[in-house]
Formats: sequence, structure tokens, C-alpha cells
Amino acid sequence: MDSSELTVMIGLEIHVQLATKSKLFCSCNTDYQTAAGPNENVCPTCTAQPGTKPFDMNAYAFEQALRIALALGCDRMRDSVTMQRKHYFYPDLPANYQRTSTPIAEGGSLAGVSITEVHIEEDPGRYDLKTGIVDYNRAGVPLLEIVTDPVITSPDHARKFLEELRAILDYLGAARDVESGSMRADANLSITGHNRVEVKNINSFHGVFSALTYETSRQKNMVKNGLEPERETRHFDEDRDITLGLRKKESVDDYRYIPDPDVQPIAITKEQLNRINASLPELPRKKMERFRGQYGASDDEAHALCMELAMADAFERVAKKVDPKLAAGFMRGTLKKQLNFRSWNFAKVAQKEQFIIDTLLLLSERKVTDKVAEKILIDAMDGKAGQKTASQYAESAGLIGVQKSGELAEIIEKAIAENAKAVLDYDAGAAKALQFLAGRVMAMTKGRADPTTVQELLKKRLSK
Amino acid sequence: MEILPKTLSTTNAIRSGKLTASANLEQKIAAVEKHDSAVRAFIEKYYDDARKSAAQVDAKITAEKPVGRLAGLVVAVKNVIAVKDRRLTCASRMLENYLSPYDAAVVEKLRAQDAIIIGSLNCDEFACGSDNTKSAFFPTVNPVSFFDEKGEITNANASEKYVPGGSSGASAAAVAADFCDLALATDTGGSIRCPAAFCGVTGFKPTYGTVSRYGMADMAMSFEQIGPMAPDAYGCALLLSVISGKDYRDSTTSKTVATKAPDASFAASANNAKIRIGVPKEFFEGADPKVAKAVKDAMARFASKTGCELVPISIPAVRFGIPAYYLLVYSEFASAMQKYDGLKYGAKPEANEELVPTVSKVRTANIGKECKRRIMLGTYITTKEHKDAWYTKALKARAYVRAQFDDALAKCDFIIGPTMPNLAWKIGEKAADPLQSYLEDVLTVPANLCGLPAGSVPCARIGKLPVGLQVIGKRGSDYETISLMAQIESSLVG
Repeated sequence: MDSSELTVMIGLEIHVQLATKSKLFCSCNTDYQTAAGPNENVCPTCTAQPGTKPFDMNAYAFEQALRIALALGCDRMRDSVTMQRKHYFYPDLPANYQRTSTPIAEGGSLAGVSITEVHIEEDPGRYDLKTGIVDYNRAGVPLLEIVTDPVITSPDHARKFLEELRAILDYLGAARDVESGSMRADANLSITGHNRVEVKNINSFHGVFSALTYETSRQKNMVKNGLEPERETRHFDEDRDITLGLRKKESVDDYRYIPDPDVQPIAITKEQLNRINASLPELPRKKMERFRGQYGASDDEAHALCMELAMADAFERVAKKVDPKLAAGFMRGTLKKQLNFRSWNFAKVAQKEQFIIDTLLLLSERKVTDKVAEKILIDAMDGKAGQKTASQYAESAGLIGVQKSGELAEIIEKAIAENAKAVLDYDAGAAKALQFLAGRVMAMTKGRADPTTVQELLKKRLSK
Repeated sequence: MEILPKTLSTTNAIRSGKLTASANLEQKIAAVEKHDSAVRAFIEKYYDDARKSAAQVDAKITAEKPVGRLAGLVVAVKNVIAVKDRRLTCASRMLENYLSPYDAAVVEKLRAQDAIIIGSLNCDEFACGSDNTKSAFFPTVNPVSFFDEKGEITNANASEKYVPGGSSGASAAAVAADFCDLALATDTGGSIRCPAAFCGVTGFKPTYGTVSRYGMADMAMSFEQIGPMAPDAYGCALLLSVISGKDYRDSTTSKTVATKAPDASFAASANNAKIRIGVPKEFFEGADPKVAKAVKDAMARFASKTGCELVPISIPAVRFGIPAYYLLVYSEFASAMQKYDGLKYGAKPEANEELVPTVSKVRTANIGKECKRRIMLGTYITTKEHKDAWYTKALKARAYVRAQFDDALAKCDFIIGPTMPNLAWKIGEKAADPLQSYLEDVLTVPANLCGLPAGSVPCARIGKLPVGLQVIGKRGSDYETISLMAQIESSLVG
């Protein structure tokens, strides 16, 4: 059987840390990443000392959870949510049970992926198996778990879904920085008609794609070779980009869920939902639609610009100063390419906004070529432009276009003189020779000349 | 002449300077030193700290500075309640050497109101028991075992030793033996009222959510409350007024307002003619006839003196109380005990093996038999396979019991009856069969299942053994319930 005919179905459980100052059930600081040391941001409650109880639930955290649910388009909001205890023994869990809520909302979809439910839970601490050190700084940090239906059809589809999810979280400012390990996922994946495999320990957006790519091809290969993938839980090894068998699913985990007697059920009211809905920002999908209409951006440009709020906002300001179409093309193409290359988000270059505007102005006045514009941008991103404006920098680096035809003509004469053979070839009908000569001219101008103009001038000169 | 409740006369004497806080404390210390070797109430004594606190209170009184509501009163605390930097053992080997890093909310409040904390008191291990014989350390003995006719300990060598009830047996014993003015105890299914009845003192379990449980080690979270034990209802009301109130560190107190302090009209019978008191026949059906008669006599005497109306009622759901209570207690207890794995605090595992054997070994070695029984049953009935048949059904039974009690309390203001169906038994008597011991809780568990306020007030003695009369009130009527207990108390004097 051709493996390309096999279809795969993927479901994701995504955990994101909600952006709150304090933990879900105590007032400790949630900042476990920059804490002075292990177990600095802890108290009797989040270390489950005998006698402690959960504090009144962090209402802000719950509000963030509701905002996300509404932004995901969840249409079945529950009117009451109960915290439950999920029991298992593990050193990172202070009480050996985790508090996890019943669903807050169901329904909704994103990038064609339907949402099963979302609920809130407490993050466990961190246990380092090698040193045996347990750090409870993270214990009790509020998490939102988003569970999708098993309808994702490929690793690429998963990536699109996650990109949009990340954009929504970014727009809402409801989640902690999703790139720095505060997003984790479990995946379940099956080839249609075959056993389902769970993959745990995926700790980044990129990791989801890698893990799914590996696991999809592993399972497809097995099925192609007449083997049945085992029903099991696998562990994603991020360093090696592979998944490893963890344990066989012979028995079902039994977490002995019971409602947590220490936490009163949390009511969700219509008024609360109306208020939150009214205060939601313009979401990525809406913004993309508007960018297409208002700025004539292509689907692709609108998508790229709107996946990060800082970039979308910057674009709108840039578009007031320069031709929106030029801006959209440049930011989608040149800028986005350079950001991706560095694995940066736009926020990292946000203070370069004026520089980008100036570069685009130089470009629209044809003072620089596309290639030079890209070079100026790269230099600015690498910190080489210092405090200079784009035109100051281009000027000082000698990158302003060779426009005076006298100067360009001189260079062309020089190129012809130095490459007599190419001239003969051209005369003999070799069109390639013109490209070669143009290349020489471009090199001699260090890319400052407009390539079209160079070709035109060369043709004119050689036809004499 | 009006006889003042003992607590009120002590507090008056201290405030007026007739009795210094230090002298009051020294009297208690002397009693402890003389008799605790027989009673065995204390796990730890905090004499040094207590003497310092007493001196501070005396200094305030001498300087005519304002003092707290409990100024100079000596309070002992059941050792499931956290006192900072002191051992919080829960009478278990698991926590034998565990020092609490914080004060329970109620302990903070005691300190803020100038109470003198004398020490921590024994109980059944993790409050699992009805007779205080299940402490991992030693059983506490009911002081009445040693009493003469005047209620003083004269025969410390008595051969017949009775249980003080449980699980807060030592809290009641310490009050009965005059080791303290007041004691803090906890009540999950009768753990305050049972020992109050057995030791002849007054004890009160507040409405669920009235007192912050922050700092009280868990037994069964949806049932339990910290409550006062005292020689009199006045003492219970006074202590409750201090420890009650909203606390953000226990979210089940979120709708609570502090119970008011007993005022001049506390024990007055203002509108007794309008008060209807339900007497459920089920509360007397399985009771020892001597106990039933003693309680009925006391009720009749009270009713005739005060003019309250006694209304015979029936609450058939009482029979579901014990099964519903124990099944849910097991479930919650198994969950609560999950944290004691020997990895973070308390007993340490000896071997450093894989996680599961390490945790199992330390739990096997350091948790007592009754606690183990509850953990295993609770684990069993909350597994996926058995949850519906047991846990879910028990929740339904709880709702059913609750509905019937709410219904009864819609028709009456209070419900009264015996606290315990039997008198205190001798130490060792019910050791063989845990079910015998569970059945003793039949009259106390309904208040916990329903979250209702309930107290026990001594109403008679049969031989040397006290009989407790139980008053159950409407949810939130804690002050009124203790006030009724005070009226019953005074109706039985003279």
C-alpha cells in the first residue's frame, strides 16, 4: 500500500500558562523562570503543608480563561465549573493530586480544528530526575488546557492551528510568553483504522510540528510494512526530534477524580460573558479580513501581518506613511524572512519601526534597490546601523543608488573594457553574455544600481 | 443569686485584676503537672511561651491598656491545628517530628485576642476515631475515671478507665480536668460533641464555613469545622466569636460573617414561647434507655422552665447517615492523605528505591491501622470501576439526608436529642470491631452531612458518666444555637 494514501487523525491537548501575577490558589508570584532559586516563590499552601487549603480562586486567572474560551469561539459556555482532584503520585505534585476543573466551555473552532473543551488547572512543580531536586516555584501557576477533537489532518495543519492559537493568545495578552516553555502539548495520533498513540512532553510550538512529523512517518511506515502501531504513550525527545516508547497502555490510568471539597463551584454568569465579549479586541481573523479590504493586502500578506499583534499594529502605522501595498509586500516578504531566519518575533524589532518606514520611503523613491533595502534592514537588525536613520545609514555606507547616468555609464564602459570576450560572445548571439556583463556591473556598483536600468543601458551601449 | 458561667467569672476576674493572667496560667500548669500523667491529654506543652504571653497580658492590664477578648484565658489546641514552629503531629508517626512553618488562622486569632496557648492536645490519629484510643502515641483517659463526687480528680489510680470520646478526646479531657479554660477542637462527624458528652463539658461544631480551616490538617474536608470546647456555653460562644469569620485562605468561608460575642442577653429567654424544638424519634430509637431517659427528663425540665414547645418529629433519613458519612469520609480522607509520601516532610523513607516502593514503605510503616483502613476503602470506592456504586450513591444519600433535615428545620427552630446513643465505654472495649465504634456516631454525623451548627451540653450523670444533650440549629444560627445551649445549661442548675 502506498503510504501517501494513508490518512492520519491528530488531536491535541495544549497547555498554556495564563498571564497572572499570582498563582491560582495562593498569592505567590508566578514568575518561576527568573526566581532567585528553587523554592523561592512558595508558601505553605502551594507546597501543600498539612492544614493548608486553597485560597479563594484567582479571579483574574479565571477571567483570562473565559476570554480565551470566548475568543476561540466556544459557543457552549458552562454556567458552573467545579474544581476536581486528579490523583497520582509524583514528586512534582505537592499534594499528590492536581486540581483541574470541569470544562469551562465547549465548541468553537480554529483553522478548521474543532475545540472539544477548555478547562483550567494548576501547573505542577518541576522535578529534575538527574539531581532529584524538586522546585515548587511553578506549582500552582494557572494553566489553561485546550483540547481539540481528533480532526487535525497533518503536521502542517497542526502548525497552522497552533499559529492561529498563538496569535489569539498574543492578541488577548492572556497567556505567558508562549515561546519560553510556558506552552506544552500532548498529542494523540492514529492512522485511520489503526491504534491510537499518545505523545507526551512536547514543550514548544515547534516541537509539536517535529513530534507529529516524526510520529506520522513512523506510523505510516509501520502500516505500510503490515505492522500495527501499539496502543501506547510515547515521549518526545526534543533534542533528537524523535518519540520514544514510554509505557504500554495495558490498563487505563485511574486518577480517582473527585470534586475538590475545598473549592466552591464557580459560577459563570451571562452578564460576565457579555461584559468580556464586549471588551475583546479585534481578533486575528477579523483583522485579516479588514487588511484585505482596507489595504488591498493579499491573503498571504494579511495572514503574515496578523499573526502577531505588534506587527499588525506597526503595519497600520507604516501604511499611513508609505504605500500600503509596498509596505505589506515588504513586511510580509523581506522583513518576515529575516525574522523567521533569526527565530525572532516582531516585538524584537518593534523599536525599528521608523527605520522600516524610512527604508520603504527610500525604496518607493527608487533611491535604493530592493536588494539594498534588504541589506539596510539586515544591518539594522544586526545593530550595524547604530542610531542612524535609514537614509543616513544608506548614505554613509555608500548604498544610495547609482542614479547619475554619468557614473553608471563610466562603470559600464569599464565593465566592457575588462570583459572583451563576453562582448564578443554577445555579438555572436549569446544572450547569456548580457547577463554576465550585467552581473559584473552590479558587482562593481555593490548592488546600488537598479538591475533593469543596467540591462537597458548595456543593451543600448552594445548595439552601437 | 445568679450563678455566672465559669468562663465568664474567670474572664471577669482577670479583667478586674483580681486574678492575674500569670496566676491563672500557673493554676493550670499545676493541674497539668499533677494529673496529666494519668489523663495524658498533652502532646506538647508550651509553658515558656505561655508564661511570656501571660506576663504581657498582665502588663497590659496593669497599664490599663485595652486587652483582647480572650485576655488571660488559657487555651489548649488539638494537635491537628498548626501552631508555628511547633510540632503538628496529628497524633501520627507520619508527622511525629513535623514542625509547622505557620500558624493556623484560628491560632493567629487566639494570639490577637490575648489568649494564652498552653500546649497541643492528643486525639485519634488524623482525627480518625471516636474514642481517642487511636492516637499513634498513647490513649487519653477520660478524667471522670478519676473523679470523686465533687468532680475533682482524687483517684488517679482508678482501675476502670473510660475513653474520653473522640477524636478530640484530649480537648474535652483537658477542659474537664481544668488543664485549660478553653480548648480548640475539630469536628468531622462528632469529634467535638462526642468527647464533650463523654467528659461532661460543652462543645460546639459551627455551621460549615463559619471558621477558617486554614491550618487544620484535613480529615474529610466537606464535613469538618474547628470549634470551641469549654466548661460552659458562654465559653463556647466567646471562643467562637474570636475564631469565626471570613478568611481568604479557606475559600469555603467566603460568605461568612463572624459570630457575635456573647452579650448581656446571651442566655436570656426572650421569646421562648415562640421557639419550637423538634425531637426526632429516630434519635432515641437505638439509644441506651438510661441515656434516652436522662435526655428526655432534661428536655422536659428545660421546656417547663422556659416555655419552649417540644415537637415530636420524624427524620427517617437518619438511618442513611452512617453509610453516607463514612463512604464520603473515606473518599475525602484517602485524597487528603495522598500528600503524606515521606518525600517532602514528616517521616522519611529508609531506603532510596524507586518512587512507588519508597512511598509505599514509608506509608506502611507510619500510618496507623484505622487510617489505613479508611485510605484503602476510600481509594477503592473512588476508582472508576466502583465510583458509581459507592461514591456517587453516597453523594445522593447525603443530599437526601440534607433535604430531610432542612425540611425539619423549616418547621422547627432547633432539633434536640442525645449527643451519643451510649455512655462512655472502657478503654479497649470496642477495639475489636470498628463498626461498633462507627455506629456510635449515628446522632452526630447528620449535622456534618448537612453543614448544620450543633453542640453538646452536659445534662445528667449516670453514675460518674456524663450524658450530653445535643442541640442542632439552622445553618448560620450559630449564636442562637449556643444561646439555647446556655439556657438549657442554666435550666438544669439547682
